[in-house]
Amino acid sequence: FRYTRNLVDCGNGKFNLMILCWGEGHGSSIHDHTDSHCFMKILQGNLKETLFEWPEKKGNGEMTKKSERVLRENQCAYINDSIGLHRVENISHTESAVSLHLYSPPFDSCNTFDQRTGHKHKVKMTFYSQFGERTPCVSTRDRAPH
Amino acid sequence: GLARWFPALEVLDVSGTGLSELGEELLALPRLHTLLAKNNRLGPPGSLPKGLGRAPLGRSLRVLNLSGNRFAEVPPALLALRGLRSLSLGGNRLHGIPPDIQELRSLEFLYLGGNFITSIPPELANLPSLSYLVLCDNKIQSIPPQLAQLHSLRSLSLHNNLLTYLPREILNLVHLEELSLRGNPLVVRFVRDLTYNPPSLQELAGRTIKTRNVPYTPSDLPENLVRYLSLASNCPNPKCGGVYFDSCVRQIKFVDFCGKYRIPLMHYLCSPECSSPCSSASQSSTSQSESDSEDEASVAARRMQKVLLG
Repeated sequence: FRYTRNLVDCGNGKFNLMILCWGEGHGSSIHDHTDSHCFMKILQGNLKETLFEWPEKKGNGEMTKKSERVLRENQCAYINDSIGLHRVENISHTESAVSLHLYSPPFDSCNTFDQRTGHKHKVKMTFYSQFGERTPCVSTRDRAPH
Repeated sequence: GLARWFPALEVLDVSGTGLSELGEELLALPRLHTLLAKNNRLGPPGSLPKGLGRAPLGRSLRVLNLSGNRFAEVPPALLALRGLRSLSLGGNRLHGIPPDIQELRSLEFLYLGGNFITSIPPELANLPSLSYLVLCDNKIQSIPPQLAQLHSLRSLSLHNNLLTYLPREILNLVHLEELSLRGNPLVVRFVRDLTYNPPSLQELAGRTIKTRNVPYTPSDLPENLVRYLSLASNCPNPKCGGVYFDSCVRQIKFVDFCGKYRIPLMHYLCSPECSSPCSSASQSSTSQSESDSEDEASVAARRMQKVLLG
């Protein structure tokens, strides 16, 4: 019912390589990247990436959009916390999308942000499958954004 | 024709082929359960074959994808597909949803994202098996409270619409696992109700008679007043024993998801003072009852928090 994160490789602890599958209309929260490098490549379909400024301390207003773009098949993108925050979405109502993600160093939690207020909330990130095997969620709390 | 050559056909994908109609040759396919016809030129009357409901195809079809076409209304022929489990009309030109959508008794998955839908008929709530409902990227201004009757609903997508608040009943969807609300102009700060017209003297007298149980018989009062008194409604606030006639308050109350999200829910109350027993005689402390109803709301809110997608 929402996009899935499928772990492909752990690179002896130095990185996580995963494939994300986005159904029509599926999107992530606005989130940060826990001081890691994040590379993304579109394998199928298109994904819209919207960049946001970090909210002011004790944010209490609508978050500021920096830019947005639509990434096409085979295009790559990179982000880290010094660049900002982003939301990634499949805005198509007819096509699904698939993306390849590389995170280094690996991380299993991050912050999600409420666009209307800038409030942040830490979430644990979970995998729908690992190395081809379905790994059921431990709990429905704190859903993964990305 | 088609059915004679491919009697065992179960899945047919004619997406992206420029079709402007799905012809009658499909009707006799007895085993076809999945028909994908995305990104074509379907939409004008006659796009779907006549007699769909009565044909073998009408009984066998379980999954129908008509996304990315030019439908300006849900084709009535579709509503006869009583076995249909999954329907997508995403990315079309729909301005509304017909109440007869409730005829699709087996529907579990309904994708209507990316249209121009302005409102949702309460009849949508009569689909007993609906688990996945996508209404994102439309022009929806309000959600009918009846949607809370969709007990099987597990995923509700409402992002990028024109919602300013949600009906309080949305908290009753106990099986909901996912809810997306971003990109709606949800009211952020507490809004003192703007729509409350102070009650008339007649209404105030009527309320007093009802709440104090002042006895009367039809011979005591003119007929129109007897009728008026019979129309009293009970205040929806379960902690309030008050009644109202015409003058009720629509109040936006925020459910605070533990400091993470604040979702405005619409409450109907008998007066702006009503968040506690509001009988005019008593000056009972408001904090106790307010915190009681806050507790109910916050339990439901904590459940919803797990569900809310940013």
